[in-house]
Amino acid sequence: MISRLTKIFAILTIILFSSSVSAYHNPDQASGFVNDFAGLLSVEQKTVLENKLSSFEKETSNEISIAIIKSLDGDTIENFATELFLDWGIGKDKKDNGVLLLVAKDDREMRIEVGYGMEGALTDAQSYQIINRTLKPAFQKNNYFEGLNEAIDQIISATKGEYTVVGNTDLKSLNLSYDSLAWIALLALVWLSSILGRSKSWWLGGFIGAILGVGLSLIKGFLYFGLVSIAVLIPFGLLFDYIVSKQYKKGKSSGHLPWWIGGGNGRGGFGGFGGGMSGGGGSSGKW
Amino acid sequence: MNKSLIIIGVLVLLVGGFIWSTYNSLISANESINSQWAQVETQYQRRFDLIPNLVESVKGIMSQEEKIFSDLAEARANYSGANSSNQKAEAATQIESSLSRLLVIMENYPELKSGENVQTLMVQLEGTENRISTERKRYNDAVQIFNTKIKRFPSNIIAKQLGFSDKAYFEAESGAETSPKVDLKN
Repeated sequence: MISRLTKIFAILTIILFSSSVSAYHNPDQASGFVNDFAGLLSVEQKTVLENKLSSFEKETSNEISIAIIKSLDGDTIENFATELFLDWGIGKDKKDNGVLLLVAKDDREMRIEVGYGMEGALTDAQSYQIINRTLKPAFQKNNYFEGLNEAIDQIISATKGEYTVVGNTDLKSLNLSYDSLAWIALLALVWLSSILGRSKSWWLGGFIGAILGVGLSLIKGFLYFGLVSIAVLIPFGLLFDYIVSKQYKKGKSSGHLPWWIGGGNGRGGFGGFGGGMSGGGGSSGKW
Repeated sequence: MNKSLIIIGVLVLLVGGFIWSTYNSLISANESINSQWAQVETQYQRRFDLIPNLVESVKGIMSQEEKIFSDLAEARANYSGANSSNQKAEAATQIESSLSRLLVIMENYPELKSGENVQTLMVQLEGTENRISTERKRYNDAVQIFNTKIKRFPSNIIAKQLGFSDKAYFEAESGAETSPKVDLKN
């Protein structure tokens, strides 16, 4: 209780006297729903949690992530959690249906950060209870897995009814981030390479370049951009076609086709989070 | 003759396009400041709604601390009476300082510890304060993007011509009395 008072007081002081001082550092990219950067969990334990969270995501589209870091490096756990949440983009875009359970091992602090879209389902008071009645007692006995496992069950049951998956509608909102645009561009490039390389024509690349330029000028809404892109893309397309065609011929004669010519290599497993946001909702605690 | 017409035409198109796109990007940067400010206000409102409950549940035990409760009530009244964003920000600062004084005083009443009700309210208050600090930080980020835009060459020329001016950050320095100035005009 008293420590809670102190905490609110500290936040108030930050609000009152300064813009926040942040020492946030991104630990790394998320490699799954469970990210243990401090080595608290064994491989089997990690798999159990990972499977649970991944099937929950398939069922409801809600994204719950566990992040265990070594140290906050002087940052507050609240700030760290909000920044990490944003960096990883936990939850689906626009729905913001993500939850982050952050554990800082050396600081002995934990936080449940709740995405905007989940604040109604998982309230601050509920998060507080999960932390204080489940995580804290378990962590004090070094039962990290048991604590996390039970906490995840509680978060799942609290957030179950909130959203359901409506088909594969992730691409429905065509509001793509630059990141995903870059990926699409890269994929398109690979795909084009494979087509242009095989095609006998030398002009197709230039033609596609011109179409791209016109398309870009329409999207960007202005001639200025369009003219430049047409002027750049036609020769670029021609050159591109020329290079890939040559590579393809070379590869064909030597028997080793370049990597971009091959079919899809579907990488199963974790495909990253959906780009959700949080706004400081949830609760934190110490053990 | 014909050639120079074409050149002039192209130049007009280029300059016009540049003004067009700069103007649009300034407008959207400005709009994101406004929407971020709305987020800040949402959280202010949340805090505002929480205070009567909190006061209600601690008043019985802290009956002799009349001053702080009347301060809080006054700050709340100021907030609900505030019309401009500037006044709102000012009143919110006033609420902040009375709230933190209340919290300091509450430390002297360990019997509050037992109340489940007070504890839940504390958790909610903590969550709200944290949300406020998050949204305010994002507000500042939005202001920074806008301010950078209107100061950098060459968009600064257009910003000046079209009458865009700096937005103020949320930063109450050392003396909390210097209220953050928020200007949402434009």
